[in-house]
Amino acid sequence: MKLNERSVAHYALSDSPADHVGFLRTWGGPGTPPTPSGTGRRCWFVLKGNLLFSFESREGRAPLSLVVLEGCTVELAEAPVPEEFAFAIRFDAPGVRPHLLAADGPAAQEAWVKALSRASFGYMRLVVRELESQLRDARQSLALHRRSSWKAVTSRCKPQAPDRWSPGLENGHTLSRDCSPTGLVEEGGSRPAGRGLAEWELQGPANLLLGRGQSPVSPETSCFSTLHDWYGQEIMELRRAWLQRAQGSRPEREGQDRP
Amino acid sequence: MRYNEKELQALSRQPAELAAELGMRGPKKGSVVKRRLVKLVVNFLFYFRTDEAEPVGALLLEHCKVAQEEPSGFSISFVEDPERKYRFECHSEEQCQEWIGALRRASYEFMRRSLIFYRNEIQKVTGKDPLEQFGISEEARFQLSGLQA
Repeated sequence: MKLNERSVAHYALSDSPADHVGFLRTWGGPGTPPTPSGTGRRCWFVLKGNLLFSFESREGRAPLSLVVLEGCTVELAEAPVPEEFAFAIRFDAPGVRPHLLAADGPAAQEAWVKALSRASFGYMRLVVRELESQLRDARQSLALHRRSSWKAVTSRCKPQAPDRWSPGLENGHTLSRDCSPTGLVEEGGSRPAGRGLAEWELQGPANLLLGRGQSPVSPETSCFSTLHDWYGQEIMELRRAWLQRAQGSRPEREGQDRP
Repeated sequence: MRYNEKELQALSRQPAELAAELGMRGPKKGSVVKRRLVKLVVNFLFYFRTDEAEPVGALLLEHCKVAQEEPSGFSISFVEDPERKYRFECHSEEQCQEWIGALRRASYEFMRRSLIFYRNEIQKVTGKDPLEQFGISEEARFQLSGLQA
């Protein structure tokens, strides 16, 4: 089977970050003729992603071998005496002999076993997908938290709201009465006749509340519920005035319910 | 360089990210288009003769460039020799785009960059390192410095 070996070797030697490096003794893997003493051949190993390369030395200009770390498990192993700190890369594929490797000490052995166990493409893909969904969740809960912190402000607002609103409401009622078409006419046109009634009505409650140093765009109204109430009040006033006008135009009707 | 061919052959039989019959031309001058079953498995692109079970060859997809080639094909070349291109012909623009997208995302290096990106973003939002739960926060492959390579 062909492989783009030149590119693979180039990748091995490139300065892309290695995931683990170190000296290991090796037997029975590809590119490892048996040593006379049977002690395993000492090579410089470089792990990049799911690829384990070996070199004759740290300065090696070409990899001796490549082990592709897919479909395998890594476990501690019994080494041929007198070696210790051995581990094996065992493949699921039939007819593939396990690669036996030995580190220089227990810490190195543990580090290699860990690094090699997590080297597969599949493992990396799992971690990436997990983080992807964690980020999505984190962003969603951040957005929710912002919304609910509005609610938290609302619940602080609420006890105050009736106090703030009731005088306003009363005044609004008063104003509304004064501002009804009949009221306007009675007052002898305190407003320019050309001015739209609707506009005036709209300004009524808002003007009142603005007078109290509140406005839809002041910092205090960062609470959505407060904003909602603002415009709700305006709408209620408008509706009331409209209904009064509607009833005012039919004064003979009896039993008509007032809003 | 020796490599575990049997294991690679076994890998070529694993479920593929993408597989299709495409026209393929080797990088050598004067090479002709041949029908090949092309299969993307992890960071390897295997290609088979259409009636054979074992792959003719494999391309490791690290440090490679995937480019669109008119009219509806793409090429794969490698960093150390950008003019040396493996060319593939698709049956449609759509298929071509699908392959280009998948091949660009197929490298381990790409996944490493994605992981580092997500880790960083999660830390910004939550203040916590998401890799700690996996016990892999100290591993070299997941460090921000890895992005510079």
